[in-house]
Order: sequence, then structure tokens, then C-alpha cells
Amino acid sequence: MLRLPILTVVMVLLAVVLYLRKGRQTLTIPAGKGCVVPNDWFAANPHPMTPADHVRPADQTFLTYPEWFLVHSPAEIADYAKNHTTTTFPYMSHVRQLWQSYGIVYDQIKATFPFNTGYHVMIWVIGVSTTVEYAMKALYETVVGRLTNPAHGCVVTDEDKFNAQFTQDYVDFIRELPWYEFDFTSRISRLFSETSLWGPHFIRKCERKYMLLTELVVKAGYGYLIKLGTKAAYDEALLTTAVVVDKAPATLPSKTKLLKTYPDESALLLLPRYEAFNPAASALAQHGVTFREIAGNNSALLLTVLSPENWHPDRPDFRVVFTQPVLTKPGLKRVALVTTVGRLNKTIRYVQEQHVTIEHVYDY
Amino acid sequence: MRLKDKLPLSYLLFTSRGRINRLTYWTVSAFIWSTFYVLHTLLNDFIGEGATYILYPLLLVSLVATATKRLHDINRSGYWLLIVLIPVLGALWLIYWLGFKKGDNRANRFGTIPNEAADYLKNDDGSLIPHLKTQERIINDVTHLNPVVVADVFRPTSTEELQEKVRTTTGPVSVGGGRFSMGGQTASPHSLHIDMRGLNQVIHFSKAERIIKVQTGIRWCDIQRFIDPHDLSIKIMQTYANFTVGGALSVNCHGRYMGHGPLILSVRSVEVLLADGSLVYASRTENPDLFFGTIGCYNGLGIIVTAELDLEENLAVRRVYKKLPYTDYSSFFIDTIRDNPEAVFHNGDMYPPAFTNMRAVTWVKTTEKPTVKTRLMPLRESYPLERYFMWAFTETMLGKWRREHVVDPLLYLTTPIHWRNYEAGYDVAELEPRSRTKRTYVLQEYFVPVRHFEVFARKMSEIFNRYNVNVINVSVRHALPDQGSYLAWAREEVFAFVVYYKQRTNDVAKNAVAIWTRELIDAVLSVEGAYYLPYQAHATAGQFHQAYPNARKLFALKKKLDPDFRFHNILWDTYYQPDNN
Repeated sequence: MLRLPILTVVMVLLAVVLYLRKGRQTLTIPAGKGCVVPNDWFAANPHPMTPADHVRPADQTFLTYPEWFLVHSPAEIADYAKNHTTTTFPYMSHVRQLWQSYGIVYDQIKATFPFNTGYHVMIWVIGVSTTVEYAMKALYETVVGRLTNPAHGCVVTDEDKFNAQFTQDYVDFIRELPWYEFDFTSRISRLFSETSLWGPHFIRKCERKYMLLTELVVKAGYGYLIKLGTKAAYDEALLTTAVVVDKAPATLPSKTKLLKTYPDESALLLLPRYEAFNPAASALAQHGVTFREIAGNNSALLLTVLSPENWHPDRPDFRVVFTQPVLTKPGLKRVALVTTVGRLNKTIRYVQEQHVTIEHVYDY
Repeated sequence: MRLKDKLPLSYLLFTSRGRINRLTYWTVSAFIWSTFYVLHTLLNDFIGEGATYILYPLLLVSLVATATKRLHDINRSGYWLLIVLIPVLGALWLIYWLGFKKGDNRANRFGTIPNEAADYLKNDDGSLIPHLKTQERIINDVTHLNPVVVADVFRPTSTEELQEKVRTTTGPVSVGGGRFSMGGQTASPHSLHIDMRGLNQVIHFSKAERIIKVQTGIRWCDIQRFIDPHDLSIKIMQTYANFTVGGALSVNCHGRYMGHGPLILSVRSVEVLLADGSLVYASRTENPDLFFGTIGCYNGLGIIVTAELDLEENLAVRRVYKKLPYTDYSSFFIDTIRDNPEAVFHNGDMYPPAFTNMRAVTWVKTTEKPTVKTRLMPLRESYPLERYFMWAFTETMLGKWRREHVVDPLLYLTTPIHWRNYEAGYDVAELEPRSRTKRTYVLQEYFVPVRHFEVFARKMSEIFNRYNVNVINVSVRHALPDQGSYLAWAREEVFAFVVYYKQRTNDVAKNAVAIWTRELIDAVLSVEGAYYLPYQAHATAGQFHQAYPNARKLFALKKKLDPDFRFHNILWDTYYQPDNN
């Protein structure tokens, strides 16, 4: 029977064509073709004042974006899960946003920096894992979840509430620590203790228990393996970011330490890394501080903000790299901006004046 | 026609019967999911989200149906799908079962091995004549070129029943088995057609004496299945195992065996039902006239009801080959193959359209482990690759060139090792085209004394090229002489030229075939050879008698044993009493 292989090839091709056609829908809009960052913003810092063990590669501000997207994305899911079941969440669009934005940030640095193999491999691993996870979820939700989903997709079962809580806790956790450290195992028993066995929407309850149990077990197992792999392949990450400022303010923001003051009044500060870097850096900017070095760099620095759709900033202190609509919050978009360490304070202040939220500062 | 054949895709997607292998499962899954995606997207975009719900019953049914078939393949019932309800482990287990676990390598309670045919290709039981409520049926052979209306079809299940029928009826009788002859040798207009396929029992078998006695409606493949567990193999048979023993005996067939020849050389005795209803035992020593007048004599004297056949050891054989010009073939054959005790099968393929190059293929005895998993030829539901090659060789530009210089060299890259039984177990189905309505594949065969090989090869090539005959292959085999049979085609040591060609089915084409066939017969007669009779009866009476000088003796015997001319078929109608029609 030759009919089946022929029809299969035809249908697969048709599906690919349809998928790519849908891809034209604007999920990530680059500000321009190729690199949009002025060349001199990439000039390396020849003699960093920052101690060598606090210096990190300058291209990492861009390369950390895909990683952080995998925090922004669960954050969006957690937000969405408060009012809707996650059955209707646009998982596949997030997959596209991930890979599209990875392509754009790589476009910015590929001419200036040598290929950072270790970092790219890490991005591929987490990117592919997430793609598989989201694809499985999208498939499952389309085929099964959709059939048990309550009308209007409201959160009515204990299980969907449990999911909302779990998703939120998970996001809060991964803002500070690697995802594989999350305690999925204890959630498995809580899934059964915190939800009723019987009740209205019984089929939905069973189906969600099945789905959540599967997710927790798989993630617990996968997390365990990744933890082993990461320990073997990568060094333990530093949890602080060293910053050189022109002048330390009289009162330091919380979680910030003064390490050293130089004769010209400039100072070496130790700020928390990752999620808490943004509030600390913003507080310093509000104090009128100018940054000289962040993790040993004084070159280009990436930050993302969440702004209304109609916000189109045009300032000499920063450039827009790309924008991404926040799909579950119509009217809101993520704007990726690139500035330099020296212009960061002005950029922060301008953005805050515009009442636009800084989502994250990518501190290398 | 079964749903399976008529709507294979619907059968696959919406019924849970039967088995499918891993490849089919992956393919059909890709088909289901991509189709679902396409339809889902289209409905969602053009009609609305609600419309997509109509896809779910179809999706669910097809997923369950295909998964059930795959579970059947590993001998589990479809209820095992419920294992998916166990989170994680159930799903993983199911993924392994459905996607990766190899299917049973034998038939199980859910069916035969996927893509494996349940049985060898068979001809029908005689097709009904539309709008007629009589007993008349159309009896046709495998080529579909020879439809004959017979008065009735009788299917005996015991020798006594058959005897009774012959005794109590008058009028013409025609006899058929597998009906793989190609010129109407199994039917005659308005005769009572006896379909022998019900008489298919093994009557006696002795492993020690290497002998088997069978009813002649049995097929060679059935005998192979019977004797294979005893490590025995049929001494002489043709390459294709679909035929019935009775049919093969009546045409005195041959195979590719070395050191043997016509089938008659492996027959110890037969029992023949004569026109008067008597059953007569015949061997070389007892009733030799009947023995030599029935084997290879196309049911002229009576019906062969049982036969006692020689068996041989079932050895492993390894394929070796040599490509050479046809001018070197006879000396190569005589020097290295003819008396080589290691050679079990041999044939030489002549490449059309020039017929100057040959590939001599020999299967030699080996103690190595066979490269095939099964001892007998596994049967397949379809032969898409074979069908494609046949089409490409016969219908495309440079098709024959590609076969000689691209396809065959690739096919001969490996060195297969088969069992003797395996290598004699081919299914005619592999030769079947999609349809035989417009074009059909037909065989002819010419027997040439060994010393005249080259002369005939040249003449044959010239005739084929002059008439633009679409020859697929000419396979040369060797046979030792058969000095007994009245219609012996190997009166001395011969090479058999088996010609496989393609022809159109319209009258003009049939006529053209008749013309070049007669010319080819003249060519073979000029080298003291013979042509083979199970094919279309294009030869003139003069050619027939020149090729078969003892035919008149057989005719005399027929007059004596079948005085009322009861046993008919196209051959007898043409050459014995042509005025009778």
C-alpha cells in the first residue's frame, strides 16, 4: 500500500506550510536587520577595576536573555493561571518567541565576540527541553485538556487552583535559584492532600490530577538528572554582581555591600545577582549614581521592560533591540533595550519617568 | 473484494482488526497528527473554534484503532491501551510497546505478520457470468488472456467423489489446479471444469525413504510446509510454489536445480483416473505407457489424482554470480557448473534488449548460517518495489539499461544465504502488475540442445528486436534429458530459455505475439529444439508435431483410453481434434 506514505508526506508538508504561514504572525519584532547596537558600545574594558573573580564575559548580557525568557514565560503562565486554566495558554507561541529572540540577541553579538560554545550548548539544552515540554503540553491540552476544560476556561477545580499556586511558587523560586533545585517531590503528596477526591467537574478533576502528577513526576526525574549533569559540566554560579560606581550613596540599598572606596570617591559595590539586581541598581540610579563597571564590563548592557503597546521610545541613551507582545495581556509588550553601563542610570530614570516597568536587567 | 483491499486507508484508520508493524505505526501516526493539525488549523481559522470539535471523534477512533493494531502485533489485546491511565509509567510503557517493541515474528491470535499475505496468490473459483442464472462460470488463468465459459465447476473433496462424477457424467471435462498455465490448458468451452484444489491431502510420508505421496490438488507450498520441519526439500519443482502438484505434473515443469531436469525425473508413481472412471496405478515399470502418457501430457489421458515424489535434504545455499558475454556462457557452464556437486540452483539471465550480456547465478551448498530469518519464504501482501522495477524496466526510457547497469549491480551487492526450500518458495504475487486489463506479463519457453546455445540466442535476439518485443528477462536453465514422456521437451540435454515479456491485451497485439512466436518456434525447431506447451497455443499443427514427434503416439493412446474425447482443454482442442469445435 503506497497510498499511506504518499498521503503522509503530503499532509506533513501541508502542516509545515501552515505552521510557517502562522509563523508570520508577529510574535517577536526585531528593531532592525542584524546588529542594531552601535559598534563603539561593544568596546571592551581594557583595565577593569573590578577584581578578576567578579569579572564576567561581556557577551553574556545578551546570551542570558533566552535563559531569562524561561523565567518570564512561566511568570506569564503563573499570572494567567490565576484567572484561567492553563489549558488555553498559548504554549507554542512562547516556543516561537524563545527561539526568535535567541536568534535576535545572537545577531547582536556574533560579529564582535567569538562563539561561546558552552553557553550556546546550555541554551540549546534548556531551549529544546522547554520546547518539548511546551509542545507536549500544547498537544495534551488540545487533545484532552480542551475536552474537560470548564466553560470559559475559568479556574473552578481544586486541581486547577493547585496548578496556579504551584506555577506561582515555581516562578518565585526560579527567580532566585536554578529550576532543578525546586522540590517537585513534595508537591506530589500535596497534590492529593490539597485537592478533594470527589466534587463537581469530577472528570476535569481526575484529568488534571493525571496531568499534574505526570508533570511533577517527569520534572522531578528530569531535574534530578540535570542537576547531576550541571554539577559535572558547569562551575557553581556566583550569586553576586560586582559594580563600580562613581560615588557610593550615603545609604546603600538593601542587600548591597560596599567592598572598597577608591581615592577618586568611586567605589566597588557588591549587588545581588539575577532578579534582585534590578531593584538594587534602580535604587542606586535614583540616588544619582553613575555606573562605571558591572561585572567588570563598561560596554553594552541589555534590559527588558514591560510597556504599553503604543510606547515607542527614541533616546540617545539606549536602542530598542526587539519587542514581543505579551500574548496573554493584550496591550502590553516586552521591549528589549540595549544601553551601556555608563548610560544605565539615565536609561533607568527615563524608563521610570515613563511609568514603564523594568522586567529585568541582564547583569552578564 | 475485502474492505482491506478496497479502502486500505479507512481499514487501517477505523478498524481495530489485524496487525501493523512499527514502521506503519509511525507513518500512520505522522499522518493522523499532521492531518489533525491541518484540519484543526483550517477549521479554527475559517469557521471558528467550535467547529474543531468535530475532529475529535475521528482523531480518537483512529488513534485507538491504529494503537490496537500495533498492540495486536505484539500479541496484546487493545484493552492494554488503558495502561495509559497509570501516570508516567503507563505512558512510557505504551510508547515503548507501540513505537519500539518488535512485533511477533509469527502469526498470533490477531493475525499474520503485518504485510505478510495469509497465503500464496490464488486464482479465483471461476467468475460468475453477470445476469445469467445458470451453472456456467468463466474460467481464466493468471494472465486473464484466456477466459473460457465452462458449463459447470465441480470441486471434489475426495477421490471417490471425483470418480463418481466422472463415471456418472458424459460430455467434455476440463481439469484445473492453480491455473498458472498461460494458454487455456485448464479449460475448454462448455466442459465440466474440475477444480482439483480440494484434493490436497498428504497420503503418505516417509522421512527415512525421503518420499511423499500426495493428492495432486495440493500446492507445492503446502508440501514445503509439511516437510520443512523434517529438514527435507522437494527434489524438483519450479521456482514459484503457488502451483498445484497436478498442474506441475501435467506440464512436466522444471526448476533451476542442477543435475536434474523435468519434474518427471522425481516422480515414482502416479494414480490416474481414466475416462471410464477407473483409477489406475502407473510407474516406470507398471503401466509405463500411462505413466509417460500422463506426466507432461496435459490431462489428455486422464486425471492424475495422486503422485509419489522424491525428496531431498533441505540445505543452506549461498548465491554466487558471474557476469559474462553470452558467447562464453556454455563453456563457463560446462566447465564449472554442470558437474559441480556443490551447485544446487543455477540460471543465467540474459539482459534485453541486446541479449549479449549474461549474469550467471548459482546457489552453492554452504554450512554458513542463512541470512534470512525464516526457513520458508515469508509471504507479503504487496510487492511495491518489485512492481515498480517491472514497470520501470518495461515502460521507461533506458529502463532495461538501468536494470543491467544500476539496479542489478545493487541487488547483487549482498551474498544471501537461503534454505533450499526458501529458494523454491517464491510467490507469483511478486510478478503481479496492478492491473492486467491493458497490458499483461506472459511467459514462453524454448528448449535448445546444449550444443546450439549460441545459434539460438542470436536468432532469438534478432526476432525480439525485429518485432520490438518488450522482453523483461530471458532466464536460461539447464535440464538433463527425459527419455520417457510422450511430450518430452528435453529429449536430449537442453538449455531452457524462459522468456518473460509484456504485451498489450488488444487483438492486434495478441496477433503480433502469435506471429513472432511462430517465428521463434521455427528458430528453435531449426536447432532441433522444442517450445513449451503451457503457454498460448500459437504454434501451427506442423510446428507442434515437429517439436513433439511422439505426439501422434500419444494421440493413438488417447483414442484408446479416452475414446469419447472427454478430456478437453485448449491444447487438445487445437491439435488433437481441431474439427471437433
